[in-house]
This record gives sequence, structure tokens and C-alpha cells, in this order.
Amino acid sequence: MDVEEMLETYFERINEIPNSDKFIQCIQCGTCGGSCPYGMGTLFTPRRMILAVRAGIVDEVLQSGAQWLCTSCFTCSLRCPSQIPITDAVIPALRELSLLEGNPPEELAAALMNITRYGNSFRESPRKRDRWIKEVDFEVPLISKKKKAEYLFITECFGAYHRRCKEITKAFAKLMDLLGTDYAILGNEERCIGDLVRLCGEFGLFEDLAEKNIRVFEKYEFSKIVTHDAHAYNALLREYPRFGFKKEVVHHTQFLYNNLEKLKEMFGKLDYTVTYHDSCYVGRRNGIYEEPRAVIKAIPGVKFVEMKRIKENALCCGGGGGGVWLDSFIKDHIKERPAESRVKEAASVGADVLVTACTLDVPMFEDALKVTGLEGQLEVKDISEIILEAIENS
Amino acid sequence: MLRIGVYICHCGRNIADKIDVKEVVEFAKSLDGVVVARDYKYMCSDPGQDLIVKDIKEYGLNRIVVAACSPNLHERTFRNACKRAGLNPFLFYMANIRELDAWVTEDRKKATEKAKRFVRAVVNRVKLQKELEVGKTKINPNVLIIGGGIAGISAALTLADAGVHVYLVEKSPSIGGNMAKFDKTFPTLDCSACILTPKMTSVKAHPNITLLTYSEVESIEGYVGNFHVKVGRLPRYVREDKCTGCYQCIEDCLYTEPIFPSEFDEGIGKRKPIHIPFPQAVPLVPQIDGNLCMWLSSRKCPRYCMEVCEPKAIDFKMKYETFEFDVGAIIVATGYKPFDPSKIPQYGYGIYDNVYTSLQIERMLSSTGPTGGEVLLKDGRKPKRVAIIHCVGSRDENYNRYCSKVCCMYSIKLAHLIKERSGAEVFNFYIDIRAAGKAYEEFYRRVLSEGVYFVRGRVAYVTDIPENEKEEKEVEKGRLIVVVEDTLLGKIRRIPVDMVVLSVGLEPSDGAEQIKRVLKLSCSADGWFAERHPKLAPVSTNTEGIFIAGCAQGPKDIPETVAQAQAAAGEVLSLIQRGEIELEPSIAYVDKEKCSGCGVCVPLCPFNAISLKMDENGKLRSEINPALCQGCGTCVAACPSKAINQNLFSREEILAEIEGLIKD
Repeated sequence: MDVEEMLETYFERINEIPNSDKFIQCIQCGTCGGSCPYGMGTLFTPRRMILAVRAGIVDEVLQSGAQWLCTSCFTCSLRCPSQIPITDAVIPALRELSLLEGNPPEELAAALMNITRYGNSFRESPRKRDRWIKEVDFEVPLISKKKKAEYLFITECFGAYHRRCKEITKAFAKLMDLLGTDYAILGNEERCIGDLVRLCGEFGLFEDLAEKNIRVFEKYEFSKIVTHDAHAYNALLREYPRFGFKKEVVHHTQFLYNNLEKLKEMFGKLDYTVTYHDSCYVGRRNGIYEEPRAVIKAIPGVKFVEMKRIKENALCCGGGGGGVWLDSFIKDHIKERPAESRVKEAASVGADVLVTACTLDVPMFEDALKVTGLEGQLEVKDISEIILEAIENS
Repeated sequence: MLRIGVYICHCGRNIADKIDVKEVVEFAKSLDGVVVARDYKYMCSDPGQDLIVKDIKEYGLNRIVVAACSPNLHERTFRNACKRAGLNPFLFYMANIRELDAWVTEDRKKATEKAKRFVRAVVNRVKLQKELEVGKTKINPNVLIIGGGIAGISAALTLADAGVHVYLVEKSPSIGGNMAKFDKTFPTLDCSACILTPKMTSVKAHPNITLLTYSEVESIEGYVGNFHVKVGRLPRYVREDKCTGCYQCIEDCLYTEPIFPSEFDEGIGKRKPIHIPFPQAVPLVPQIDGNLCMWLSSRKCPRYCMEVCEPKAIDFKMKYETFEFDVGAIIVATGYKPFDPSKIPQYGYGIYDNVYTSLQIERMLSSTGPTGGEVLLKDGRKPKRVAIIHCVGSRDENYNRYCSKVCCMYSIKLAHLIKERSGAEVFNFYIDIRAAGKAYEEFYRRVLSEGVYFVRGRVAYVTDIPENEKEEKEVEKGRLIVVVEDTLLGKIRRIPVDMVVLSVGLEPSDGAEQIKRVLKLSCSADGWFAERHPKLAPVSTNTEGIFIAGCAQGPKDIPETVAQAQAAAGEVLSLIQRGEIELEPSIAYVDKEKCSGCGVCVPLCPFNAISLKMDENGKLRSEINPALCQGCGTCVAACPSKAINQNLFSREEILAEIEGLIKD
């Protein structure tokens, strides 16, 4: 594409995204750049991206690779005084150009290709998506058999295939089992929900996934979706309604909070000092701050401590927006990955356990523990894991 | 016999470019009852008006139609022309073929067609119009001013000096407003107290000013020239008429040390339950905080204050008091409050000890403030480096969209003062420097030349998490780090400082909401009171007799505030000097025969002009106070029995107009 075509494609895309009319109201204040966890490592902060696009030198942005240095953490978007949808429009539309030009980072290109072919980024067979249910000591109901359930539980790709994240899925399913929740899973019919795909600029693939998923949802009778995957939660809540999906979506932190009275009866004691990491798409993007804290604080024996960067100011794990597939690319550009800084912060406030509420966080932080030498001193657990532990300790 | 004259205005090219004026004239001539139809380049000009006057006399015209611009602009002009020719001005009506037609209709043919219909509509309705008489009402010469900041004080003194009696109502225990908290004022660095406090004492001493502090306006009823005001005064438990301001009661309070955060010192200074906000307060009378005073909260106190007070001014039996009085005009000067920066979590206000608001720094800089004029960190050290963050809560869609206008200049002033007092390096973080004002840019230059740094970038966040623990320069550990994209350098910078000053924007004061309700004033979306016209009526409101001044209307600096206050005083004088005012006769009236007394109209009236009254037969009937009615028509449309009608807008007149518009 020549630059003219690029710009045309770019504006065509961002004009489809809500509030992108604010793009031309950028006052070049730099709030985005200073807020960006990768701001130090990039030539083009969001501010300069907008400026460059408006100056017609979008090709220079693409050549710099700056569009891939974004974890979609939403800090810039939340703070932007012009409310420009940087995370949802400015960056993904640049990434789309980069994909069209055929030069995305390799790891990421492979992940997207896998999602297109297999419905998951792990290059695993779709038939193995519910393999985890054979690894638990209770029965996990399939909606294809049950036909009808109150909650449809979406495990998403990481929760279904990733060695570590599968444990979170199991823990949360166990909690629903213990609570007697009327729930079911899609099993092999589930496919990538696609929030990371969208944030990576693969808009066509995202639409395709959304339409296919909605068609599957429509086959069954259920009233709500529950998920422990913060990005699946975000896409189902904010993006799927555009494609006709209208059901209530509940994040597992909200689910646990709504069942707190019942859970409290089951709790035993835990002797931990715990801190909580506000995952970007639970906290900053969707405003769920208090529910997970209330749940953790309700566990007897737990000493809850706050880190310094909390709630709106929480630091990203670096996994969002395709960050999980860009690890080596990012390492080339910055001194310290955000996950490393984050686990150090958790350790500095004296926590034994860093509790999170997003499946991506756990592998990102556990990896960072190894790099920073904090392994053994600090543990990373999903909120459902620590809750289950409290119950099993009774 | 109806003899109608129709006049079509070209308005230069405004109308004539889009409308075939000659064709409209010919059309008008064909209408029943039209004796004369003419066009003219500018009907509003003297020769244009003379055409009408001459024709009325020559042809004996008894109805006049002018098709031109909006009646907002020239209705009065043409009514006066009719009057000059001896015709009752309410036998005239305007057709708006400029704003409603020429300016908004693309096609010339369609525009001409539309103009013909407008003319026909108005010709139809003038036939039904009746002669109306303009009523008159006397104006009460007293004035109410709400708010005792620099705006209220300036307006009060201007009016009082002209011999007008002013009631000045202030919510807090002392007048002076926000200006009393400042150390110095930009760009001249005048001592704020030195220029303000003489005015405050003049207010107190002025025989024409009744000062009501610690008081709030409860209700206002009436209309221009005749407002009835109710003011409530909170008990301060110290009698103003007896107190000499000797401070003895404060010294001997059961609390030997001041331990409660002082409102006047923005929470950084301390006070006792019995306190005077600042040494130059007017009135210089202490106030007892009912929630904190041991006697008032628990009756467990030896009440030393009472014991030591020689003039016996302490009175724990004081109650809420109500005052009632009448005024002819009102000036609203309720000012502003600073934006609360704890709403912006990334700036660390309320989290880090050494993050302050600009107003807190003003108190530190004040020689009568809690630090005696020193700029000090929480631990008592002097800061070596200070960051001033501009636009906090302003120019931001998430908080306030508007520019607060004064922050650039006061930030530059604070930079100068902080550097002068503490010797610290000072960094200003700005998006744009707005130094538009007399001698403002020069002041900016002066402070630049003093070595203050200006970094162009809106600060992303303030943190105390160090990242450069091994380095010896720019040490971050133990300090606050300001993270910003230096947009001119194109680099993210981390600047370690000891103190952060947040230049908070301005928001409408808390009391403004109550005043808005009581006076039924309109506000902008941001909550600032709306002026009648942004250029030509900047201190008037849409309600006759009510004026606005100072920051109640929008953020502004002291010179502008004073100018506006004195302008409002001028408007008030111009109003009350008239002695009486004319009342627009196009008001609603009740047909008592038809009224069923259902009362639907009463709560709908935005001007409280309608009440239900018993008639001589003992039946409830609506009654409209002609002096209060503004002719909005709400009650006319709402009346289920069609018992309410309106002069100049009778049902017949409106239907005739509609018929003229839609008939083929």
C-alpha cells in the first residue's frame, strides 16, 4: 500500500469505532505517553502516533514498530483529557495496517494464524478444549447435554489449554460445584472469544469469531455468561452486543462477591499476607475494584495489604493486547518488563501471595518471579484459587 | 376597515440574495386588506422607518407588517415607528424571513415561496390584533447582593456610595471570599490582603450596607423592582453587636491548642472550636463550631469563654434567625470553589504527604498563614525542588471541559513566590501557557528569566516508586517523581521533586445550586450562571432585575471580576433610577367564567405568577399576577378548559397565522 491508501484504510477503520471522532480533538498534551508502561521505550507514543497520522507519515510509525509496543492496558485511554479511544481505535487500526503490510512480529502472527485455523492460539485441536474436565474429581456439565443452565461458563483459550491457567479454570469450576451453581460449559463448541484478536487489529477475524460464537450461544438456553477471563468478559460485555448478543455477562470476581455469604460459611483459615493486583480489564476498563477486595478480605486469617499502584493506577501485567505473544519483541525495546516491576512491588509491601483476577496475569507474573528471583518468596494465585484453598483448609 | 401596510426588507444582501423581494411585494399586494406593500434595502434604517411613518399618516394604515429579521433584533424599532405615527404599537407584527428563511433555505424559489407564506401568515394575524396598553410598576430602590467575595464587595461599595441601600449576604462567617486566602496577586504581586481588607472594612462601616454573614438566602419571591427576600442566619454563638474581637475567648478555650483543621487555611492550619477564620475577618467576631465545642456537643465544659468575655458576647442560646426584606434588584456573586484533586487518583493528592493544592500553597505563603509565609514540607524541611502541575481538573473531558483561565497565571506567580521564599528549583508542567491579559505575558517572561523551568506536557502521574536506585544524580528514592512526556523534547521524563503543587481549576461554588433553584436562573452545562448575551449583556440574566458578577458566571481573574461587579452595579443603578418599569403587555389572563379551578396551571408556571384564589361566589379560580407573568404561554397551552388566553397570542391569532402558513 502507498501512504495514501494506508491513511484511507486507517480512517475507514477508526471511523467504525465509537468516539473516534475525538481523534482530531487531540491537544497533544502527552498524558498518554507519560502514562504508557512502554512510553520510555518507544519513538512514537500515542500522542506522536496521532500527530504522525495527521501529518500523513503513518508509514514511519509502522516502520518503527511502535504499534506493537502496547499492552492495551487502557491507562492512556482512561486518562486522556480528550477521551480519544486510543486502546480501542488508534492502536488497533495501526496494527491492522501492519498486518495488511505483512510484517507483524512472528510470534504474534503465528498466534493469529492458529486462532484462524484452530479457534485457539495454542495450535491445539478444538476437540481437546474440554480435556481439563477429565482432570477433576467432580462432574463438569456440558451444555450440549444439559441443554439449559443459569450460567454458561466460558473458559477461553488460556483457561482451556494453558498448563497453569487450566488450574484456575478447575478451581473456579470446583467453586461453582461447591456452591451448587446451575452452570454448564460449551466444551468443544467453545472457540476463542477474540478480545486480544480485536486489540491486535485483526478486526475481520474478530467479527468472524464473534458471529460464530453467538451462533453457538443461540443454540442453548442460559441466562448469563460467567468467565474468569478478563478479556473474554470485556469482549462479551462491550463488543458482542454490536453483533446481537444481549445477555448478562458476569466476571468471576463479581460472581464470587454475589455468593460471598455462602462462601463465608465454608471458609477455613489462611495464614497469608495477601495483596491484590487490579487487572486492567477487570479494574481500569470495567470498574470492578471493590468486589475482589471484599472477597479476599472476608477470608479469616488473611492479612490484606495494598500495593502503591492500585485501582485506576494499577500497573499492567504486560500480557494484554497480544502482549503474551510479543514477549521477545518487547524485551528488545525495554529495560524491565511491567510484570517484573509489579511482582517486586508486591514483595515490597510484604505480601506472600499476589492475588489476581485475570488468567493472563498468572503466567506473566510467575515468569517474572523467576526473572526477579522472587520465586519462593511470593506466590501468584487467581482469586478463585485462594478462595478454594480457604475452603479446603476448613 | 382594515388598512394594512406590508414592508419587505432586503437586509442588504442577507435577504435579497435568497428571496425575490419584488415577487413577495406583489404577492403581499394581492392579499385582502393590504393597502400598501413596499420593499426597502434596510427597513431598520431611519429612511426605512420613515416610510412606515409616512404611509400610516398618508394612507391611514391601521395594521403594519414588517418582513425582515428576528423580532429579537428590531421589534422594538418598528413598534416605536408605529408609536411615532400615532398607531398603537401592538397593531404591528414582524415576519422573520431572514433567520428562518433566507439564512437556512438553499433554493431561491423555495425561499421566496416560504417568505410569501410567512407574510400571508402575519397579515392574517395582524387583522385580529387588538390595541394593548403597556403597564407600569414601581421599583424598590434597595438591592440584594448574594456573595461577599471581591465581586460582591465591589458591587456593594459601588452601589452604597451612590446612595443605594444594599443587603450583602455571605454564607461563611467572614466576607472576603477566596481572594482573602491569597498571598499576592498576579501580575503586579500586590499583597492580596493589603488591597482587599480596606474594602472589607469599608463594607462593615458603610451606613448603606446591611451585612449578613453566616447567612443564606432561603427564598426570593416577586419580580423585577419588587422582590421579597428571606434570609436565614446560622447561630455563631457570639453576638456580633457585643463582641469586640479581643480574642480572649479563643485563648481561654478548654482546648488549649488548636487541633482541628481550619477551613480558611484549606486544612493545613489548625483552629479551635471557637475561632476567627483570619485576623482581618469582617466581622471580627468568633464563631463556635457546634459539632466540636464541648459545651454544645456534650454540655461538659466549664465554659471559660463565657467567663472571660467582658462584653458578655458569648450566647449559647443563639438560634437560627430569619430576616425578611424587599429589594428591587439582585446581584448574584456566588463565586467559585477549587476543584477537588482527589478525584484524579494518579496525582496522589491525599495519598502522598507533599502533594498540595495551589490554594494550600497560597495559605503557606501568607504571612498570617499556618507556616508564617514559609514554603515547607510536611516534615518541616524546605523543598529543594517543586513541581507545579497545571490544568488539574480543567481542559479535561473526564472532569471539566473548560479552561479555568486563571491557573496559568497563578501557577507562574506561585513559581515565582516559591522560588523567592525557599530557593527551590521550580518546574511548571503545562499544556499551553495562557497569559492573555494586560502585563501577563511580561510577567511570564520575568518568571522565565528567574530560571523557573517550563516543561510542555500534561503530567501522567506522580509516584514515589524509584527506578534509578543506583544512580547518584536525580535521586528518586525518598522523593516524589513526576512522570511526564516532554512533548517538545519527545521524551518521557521522570523528574524527582520534594513537593508537588496541583493547580486546581475553578468550579461553581456549592451555594450556587441553591441560588439557582431559588431564583430559577439558567446555567451552562458546567453549572456557571448564564448571561443574557455573551457579548452585549454579559452581567444580565434572562430574568429581569437579576444580575450576575464574578466567577459565578465563569472562571475569571480579579480585574475582570471587579469590572463585572461594577458593571452589574451600573446596570442595577440604571434600573432603579428609572423609578418604574414598563411591563410587556403580551401576558396571559384568565377567563373566570371558563376556569374550573383545577389548578393545573399553578405548578407549571416557571415564574410563580399563578395562584388559586377564592372568588366572590366562593369558588376557586386561577389568578395571574400581571407583574410576574413573562408571557411564556405554558399555562395557556396547559389549561384543559381553554380558560387562559394570552395577549398578542390568542388562539384565534395563532390559528390565523397557521392557516396563512399552510394554505395552498
